[in-house]
Amino acid sequence: MSPRHILWGVATAPVQTESLSLEAIGLGKRYGRKPVLEGVSFGVAPGEVYALAGPNGSGKTTLIRILTGLAFPTAGTVRMLGQDLYEGGWSARKALGAVVEAPAAFYPHLTGRQNLEMQAYLSDLNDPEVRIREVLTRLELLAVADQRVGTYSLGQRQRLGLAAAILHKPRVLILDEPTSGLDPQGITRVHEILAELAWEGTAVFLSTHHLREVSAYADKVGILGGGRLLEEVKLDAKGERYRLRVDNPSMVASFLKSVPGVENVELRTLDVVFEGSPNVALAAVVREGYQVRFLEPDYFDLYEYYRERVRNA
Amino acid sequence: MLRVLLWELGKLVRLRSVQLGLAAALLLPILWAFAPGLRQLYKLELVSGWQVPALALITGMDFLFPFLTAMAAAEVLGSEVSLGTLKSVLLRPSPRSRLLFAKLLTVLFYPLMLVTVSLLGSLLISLIASVFDPRSFGLGSFAGGTGLGPGSFGGVGILSPLAAFGEVFRAHVLAAMVLWPMAALALLYCTIFLNTTSAALAAISTILLMRLLVAFPAITPFLLTTYLDLYLRSGTDITLGLSLLLIYTFGFGGLALLIFERKDV
Repeated sequence: MSPRHILWGVATAPVQTESLSLEAIGLGKRYGRKPVLEGVSFGVAPGEVYALAGPNGSGKTTLIRILTGLAFPTAGTVRMLGQDLYEGGWSARKALGAVVEAPAAFYPHLTGRQNLEMQAYLSDLNDPEVRIREVLTRLELLAVADQRVGTYSLGQRQRLGLAAAILHKPRVLILDEPTSGLDPQGITRVHEILAELAWEGTAVFLSTHHLREVSAYADKVGILGGGRLLEEVKLDAKGERYRLRVDNPSMVASFLKSVPGVENVELRTLDVVFEGSPNVALAAVVREGYQVRFLEPDYFDLYEYYRERVRNA
Repeated sequence: MLRVLLWELGKLVRLRSVQLGLAAALLLPILWAFAPGLRQLYKLELVSGWQVPALALITGMDFLFPFLTAMAAAEVLGSEVSLGTLKSVLLRPSPRSRLLFAKLLTVLFYPLMLVTVSLLGSLLISLIASVFDPRSFGLGSFAGGTGLGPGSFGGVGILSPLAAFGEVFRAHVLAAMVLWPMAALALLYCTIFLNTTSAALAAISTILLMRLLVAFPAITPFLLTTYLDLYLRSGTDITLGLSLLLIYTFGFGGLALLIFERKDV
């Protein structure tokens, strides 16, 4: 694990507030004497994807309810585009799109389109018909748009939830387990859409157990445990490390430490992991007569790291 | 606001408790119209179809209508909590107070629906029964009272159909207003408990407990339960009672709005 992956090791570390779309500042929540969340601070910039991971009961859902204004913190505050979510009243939620339940809840007697029309009205959306058609198409729900939601499958309801969340083109998207109940194809589609939205400049915050999938496009991962943000992992270094399997890894590791252009060499069981130029490292190793079995990028295994971190928390 | 209110009314008529309540309100006058033991029970011989609404209303207001009102009012919010739709609505950039105010108006509308259905059911069954027994169920002029005006069922002379309808209509509107504080109270409890059953039971328990407070004569004039039979009264008593019922209604409603504004959902 490279230290550069770790952005902040302490949950209450200061957050860079400039141009953050979503900002949690020292959030705490108690039910009676029982603390559910304590001192949770983080920020999500425009275009950034922030994934929240944590075991069941770690406070993920409570945190999401607080971030969306459904629940109120006992300490701290949330700023959305610089506006206090609780003191700013309902207008602070103009930038927010969210799905807080899996599957997303809708009026079962109304069709998918009618449900979206109601949400569009409550969001004060101009020209809702065109936009509703757009989101239904994007989520591949156009064929069932005029069927009652009560007849929808779990996956269709979940996708309709995402359609409702992005209906008014929110600048902050908060999702609780957005891929829950979806088939593999649906999961991929949702991840694609979230990556697209982030690319368009939306700040995306999601809780998930699918760490390997989100690590492909998430920028940061917050690990929540016991109501505290145990760690924030930055994923922008992926692909810079390489893994080399050779016949004599300890010798190769010692050798590569002396090769210019190759840095942070580590021995990991049968492999040598390093940063720097893979071409330089490979040429040097071959030149020295070592037998090379393979060389590949060493992707950061978020899932393994998460398991390790939660186990040691 | 009007659109939100129309949605709320649309959702109201889909509630199971509302559908059952309206069916009960329709069924009640039919049962009374053909009840064979009516004379023994009430020592009453029906002389006009205009007396059927009173039988249904007085019986209904004893317990059934307050219970149905509390159940429906609690379910208006509680069903959204159990369906999960409350969260999706509250996520929208729309004031919480607007939603709850629409729900408050909706639950206040329900007692009007309930008594209207009861009245329509009464008049409909009287009309049908009058074909077979015009002396007991006719809707023309008659000597006697509707049971909801001066002289009760005995009346004070000959009553024209228009005067009879006036008495019956007035009593039903007043009965609906008597139910308003109960509806607002159930909604208030639902904002606290976010659960239909708990809220309905709490509202009914509060009313039952309030009835016991009649043992304290000093506070009796200010109790909501003192005016549950307001629809049978007349004169200045009505003005005082109505004022108090409205204060209770808007007091409970206002409190519900305040609590809901900062309620964790």
